[in-house]
Amino acid sequence: VRAGVTLEKGAALNISSSDVILLAHAAFGVLGCLTALWVFVETLNARPANAGRIQAAALLTALLMTAGWICGGYWYVHFYPREKALILGGPWPFAHNFFMETKEHLFFVVAILAFLLPITTRERLHSNSAARTLVLSVAGLIVVTGLSVEAAGAIIDHGVKIALLQDALKGTHSWIPQSLQSLRN
Amino acid sequence: MDSTIASESPKLTSATSGFVLAAALTVVFNTALACVKDTSARLKNFMKSLTDHDWTTQGLVDVLLFVGLGVVFMKSRMMERTNPIHLIVILVVAVAKRGARPGLLVRDILSYSRLNRGVDRRGRRRP
Repeated sequence: VRAGVTLEKGAALNISSSDVILLAHAAFGVLGCLTALWVFVETLNARPANAGRIQAAALLTALLMTAGWICGGYWYVHFYPREKALILGGPWPFAHNFFMETKEHLFFVVAILAFLLPITTRERLHSNSAARTLVLSVAGLIVVTGLSVEAAGAIIDHGVKIALLQDALKGTHSWIPQSLQSLRN
Repeated sequence: MDSTIASESPKLTSATSGFVLAAALTVVFNTALACVKDTSARLKNFMKSLTDHDWTTQGLVDVLLFVGLGVVFMKSRMMERTNPIHLIVILVVAVAKRGARPGLLVRDILSYSRLNRGVDRRGRRRP
């Protein structure tokens, strides 16, 4: 699926399904981290009145992380191999060797914690200190590991970018943009 | 937190305790499977043959394990006697151990930077 939009002045804007899925993966992940943070803050002030809101935010975290998981997994299986080859041939091979390898492992941890969060928020948080500590721990871990995974994604993306820039400057690609032509000479 | 609300005994329901332990074990299993898969091409190929990609199989196995263990622990009476703080510590340690790897990166970047500058760990110039 490729959506082609021609701008009034300038080049055609092409948004591929790969771009949409990748950006959706990152967006769902960030939103999931924000809702986990929401659960964390509400739990610090747990009262009978906000119990429903905590449960709703926890459920939203699980749904957003599941959506991010599906988008990320689909993109990794179908589109990542080409980018991996670029990264490994570029100046930042550690973007794959370290960051993607770590992300592959943490990716599952965040999802399992997100599935656990709605279960833990079913406790009476306003009157049970152990349950409050548990929810704070799970929500805190989701925020920290989720943002680490987001940061790893940004580094992987940058690994692809500088590999392409290096190839463009060397003249390996035929589509070098005009802005880079002057740098080659 | 409202101090005027009466506190109950700090116990978790068996469902919560069961799923917390299931999550901790799933995280440990996920790490172990990833390590074994890296060293055994046979296992990796077998997992690949099930769903076209080894990571897809691993994700599905993780979810099934989490749900399966959660249900088993929830039904077992053992979980009613478990100290909730112990469960929280087990979960945090399991996740933190998995996340310890970025610490190695800092070490690698420092040694790479020293190598580039031609100095050793104490900042002395290498011969």
